[in-house]
Amino acid sequence: MGTIQEFINYVGANADYIWTEFYRHFLMSIYGVLFASIISIPIGILIAKYGKLSSWVLAAGSIIQTIPALGAMAVIMIVMGLGTNTAITTLVLYSILPITQNTYVGMKNVDKTVIEAGYASGMTKFQLLRMVEIPLAVSVIMAGIRTALVIGIGIIAIGAFIGAGGLGAIIVTGTNATDGTPIILAGAIPTAIMAILADVVLGWIEQRLQPGKTA
Amino acid sequence: MLVVMLSGCSLPGLAGTSQDTIKIGSLTQSESETMAQMLAILIERETDAQTELVTKLGSSIVQHQGMQRGDIDISSTRYTGTDIAGALDMEPIKDPDKALKTVKREFQDRFNQTWEETYGFANSYSIAVTEEFAAEHDIETISDLEPLADDLRFGVDNAWVNREGDGYEGFQETYFDFGNVYPMNLGLVYQAAATGNMDVVLAYSSDGRIKEYNLKVLEDDKQFFPPYDASPVINNEVLEKYPKIKDITRRLHNEISTEEMQELNYMADVERVNPRKVAKQFLEKNNYFENDQEGGG
Repeated sequence: MGTIQEFINYVGANADYIWTEFYRHFLMSIYGVLFASIISIPIGILIAKYGKLSSWVLAAGSIIQTIPALGAMAVIMIVMGLGTNTAITTLVLYSILPITQNTYVGMKNVDKTVIEAGYASGMTKFQLLRMVEIPLAVSVIMAGIRTALVIGIGIIAIGAFIGAGGLGAIIVTGTNATDGTPIILAGAIPTAIMAILADVVLGWIEQRLQPGKTA
Repeated sequence: MLVVMLSGCSLPGLAGTSQDTIKIGSLTQSESETMAQMLAILIERETDAQTELVTKLGSSIVQHQGMQRGDIDISSTRYTGTDIAGALDMEPIKDPDKALKTVKREFQDRFNQTWEETYGFANSYSIAVTEEFAAEHDIETISDLEPLADDLRFGVDNAWVNREGDGYEGFQETYFDFGNVYPMNLGLVYQAAATGNMDVVLAYSSDGRIKEYNLKVLEDDKQFFPPYDASPVINNEVLEKYPKIKDITRRLHNEISTEEMQELNYMADVERVNPRKVAKQFLEKNNYFENDQEGGG
């Protein structure tokens, strides 16, 4: 009970500080997933079209996923130095697999007969892609982005160790205080809330984008 | 490709987007972050530059590398003893003035960085006992412990026992042996002394927990430990661009004693006050916000 009371006191006294770090954390996560999407969605479409590459690309993504995020961040830090950009780059790397994979699966699952119908009605390859394939695959792609963002919010928390700030910095502060549990909670609970909110909101968008529903 | 693209620019909302952002790096310890906040508050007040904090850096070496790469422009706290052994890779220097002169000269020559005057506090290794124990046995200096040493339990952190030069081996050569030595995690050391599980402990002199657990730091009468006076270190380019920073560090020179830093650390580590608030309170209390420029003296 004491800890909860102290947690409430700490949050009350430092609400603006927690909000600043929350916002910073959120921005870093969004930027990371955004850049990853810009890279990964075209890759996913390409490997869906030219199937031979797919196993290689997905294997490369899986290998990245096996490296512990803290280690990857430390290595990237040697190249890029301290700060937010390093944390964002790490997140981009970890987001490539879920987004590429989902784009690939989404594109592959588009019903062949629909594509043939489009082709038969005189659509160019690009029109097919834009008006048939992508709209049918978009909810699956969105699911990949959702996974990436939820994982990403966790990865950005580690960014505190390379000077990127964010909610992770509050957690580290707590580990250094004498009885820091309230501070650790003040960093950890908002991180969890952010991940849950991201999951719910993107899940809702994903539902709306499902083919057959009026978006 | 992406790396080049990203490292070249800063993203809206995250970092200062202009060239006028001064990046201040601080360590994980509260005192380092508090000092970084003080510098940030004063720099934003006195110059037209923006500041950004790069916090929670693992060690002085990380700060040093960050400064050489240009990831940070100012290190909020650097300690003479640590950097003489670390960044400069030199033999320990026992005399505080000589140590300060050395780092100032070497950082200017080797790294084109200015090691400023000290804030006034030091974060050094020190030997501490409880106040009651000191009163009971009438102990003021480390040498006073010698007659009792054979029966004493000495609690130390794991790293110090094996440290060369200023570690336990060197301590034994300069002073004496303790009867029982217990290496443990640093976080436990202070509590172990306070609860009576240890008689004597190795403490960090500016740690707020010395105050919390009512410990007494003994005088290092044979000057065994090298000095660890804290100063900011600033890249010369930043100093040239913003000469006013020189005034700011001058106003902080010798303004915070080790006892005062203990109190500030106590606020941050035990009372859980945010370092920015700790910094602000200190500056307000000591009239740094008065309009006349000499207000801090």
